[in-house]
Amino acid sequence: MFSNLEFFIVEALRSFRRGALMTVVAIGTITVTLVIFGVFLLLVVNLGNIVGNVSSGLDIAAYVDEPISLEQAGAIQLELSKLSGVEKVDFISRAEAWKKFQEDFGEKLEIGEVIQDNPLPHTFIIKVRTPDLLPKIAQIVSQKSAISEVRYSGKLIDQMRSLVGVVRVGGTILVILVTFATLLIVVNTIRLTVLARETDIYIMKLVGATNNFVKYPFIIEGVLIGIIGGVLAFIILKISYDSVIFQVSSALPFLPIVAGGFILGIIYSVMVFAGTALGMLGAYISVSRVLKAEF
Amino acid sequence: MIQLINVSKTYPNGIDVLYNINLNIGKEEFVFIVGPSGAGKTTLMKLLYREERPSSGKVIVDKVDVAELTVDQVPYLRRNIGIVFQDYKLLPKRTVFENVAFALRVTGAPRSSIRRKVMQALELVGMLRRANAFPDELSGGEKQRACIARAIVNNPPILLADEPTGNLDPTTSWDIIQLLDKINKRNTTVIVSTHNKSIVDDMKRRVVAIENGRVVRDQMLGGYNV
Ligand SMILES: Nc1ncnc2c1ncn2[C@@H]1O[C@H](COP(=O)(O)OP(=O)(O)OP(=O)(O)O)[C@@H](O)[C@H]1O
Ligand SMILES: [Mg+2]
Repeated sequence: MFSNLEFFIVEALRSFRRGALMTVVAIGTITVTLVIFGVFLLLVVNLGNIVGNVSSGLDIAAYVDEPISLEQAGAIQLELSKLSGVEKVDFISRAEAWKKFQEDFGEKLEIGEVIQDNPLPHTFIIKVRTPDLLPKIAQIVSQKSAISEVRYSGKLIDQMRSLVGVVRVGGTILVILVTFATLLIVVNTIRLTVLARETDIYIMKLVGATNNFVKYPFIIEGVLIGIIGGVLAFIILKISYDSVIFQVSSALPFLPIVAGGFILGIIYSVMVFAGTALGMLGAYISVSRVLKAEF
Repeated sequence: MIQLINVSKTYPNGIDVLYNINLNIGKEEFVFIVGPSGAGKTTLMKLLYREERPSSGKVIVDKVDVAELTVDQVPYLRRNIGIVFQDYKLLPKRTVFENVAFALRVTGAPRSSIRRKVMQALELVGMLRRANAFPDELSGGEKQRACIARAIVNNPPILLADEPTGNLDPTTSWDIIQLLDKINKRNTTVIVSTHNKSIVDDMKRRVVAIENGRVVRDQMLGGYNV
């Protein structure tokens, strides 16, 4: 096997050059597929991230506009936590909230220069036991004299969660369909290069080449097509996504976009790997089919 | 060495080509297969290296029933059978040397031995001088010599030549037949199909005549006609 490697690679490159146009088409389709695949992965990862970052769907935020003392806050906290259906109540003073906000977004916005005074209210985070309790408890809480405003995002969160579900299912279906279409194109591309070399294959088989021996050069060709497609897709997606990161983080700085690290590395390598696999599988299928038709 | 027992062949399109052929060819024999165009000579050869399978009957090569071989075993059958074609079937973008080496490379032969064996084969067919020429730079006779070199480079015990002189002038044809005779004398079973009357008559070897898919004559030291 190893002593034949050079032969296989030389043969693969020969064929690769000969079928230039179709090779370009195959690389192009693999690239497009992988970009779609990559966009889908990024979408899922980001939506998941957003949903995960927004406070839980069981939380009610109750705001207090007037300045209150810590004792008063403690009393209200105790009162709220006694309501039936409430699991726990946290108090976040406006100073704490401001500090956290500055930590989270201060750098991006240079917020200290824009806003001098702390605009945030005191906040109670009320965690309820089940989502259906949200409206009732919110109603009761809003009637307390100290509370100026009540908000809960239960529905929104639910909707976002189901959006993530839809994207996941729809995207998976889309990716599968596109992958099949691509496989078909790769299979046909390699088939053309196989058919263009029918005489070669015929002679190889006459002089006693095994089927595997005939296959290797084409499979290497497929792998080559796949790797090139994968790397192109990686480059395109990386450039586009980097610019998306830049745009989003300046326009919507509070959106927790996935901007780097481990998970992106995985997505990008999965793309190149999937391209390679696609090229290899396509080549294998087509050359096997042609060889079966041979004698 | 080669046995055909009650062999018939019908192509998938329904054309009956061979009927109930019985034939025995011994080790190191030299056999001419003659007969009119369409008689089934090429089909008979294809049965031997399993480009085709018999519709019924047995084809036995070197004690092995060829039809029984698995796909994985067929290549090893073919490594024992050198094949020479009327149209040479040389790869046009490769030199003579590469064409001959190709037959060794696809069998996974070690690089070190390839060069030596190719040179020996080219020497035997008298093509050492033209080793670096491409097929379209060769005369018909030279192409056939290259084709023969490729067929024997593996030292197969059997050599099949399907109308090897079909495209050659009489003198060149004679040279090629002499070459096949020389190979036969190096302990190779040689089977040659031909329409060339004078060669068959001059060589005085075994002749198997096929007409309409039947063996109509099998004669030692025969001629082209009865
Ligand atoms: N692959 C095939 N499929 C169907 N019919 C075929 C096939 N190959 C050959 N035939 C038919 O089988 C018959 C015998 O063909 P074959 O090539 O064996 O004859 P031949 O004796 O070699 O003729 P020639 O002297 O012209 O080479 C012909 O009628 C031909 O049309
Ligand atoms: Mg013929």
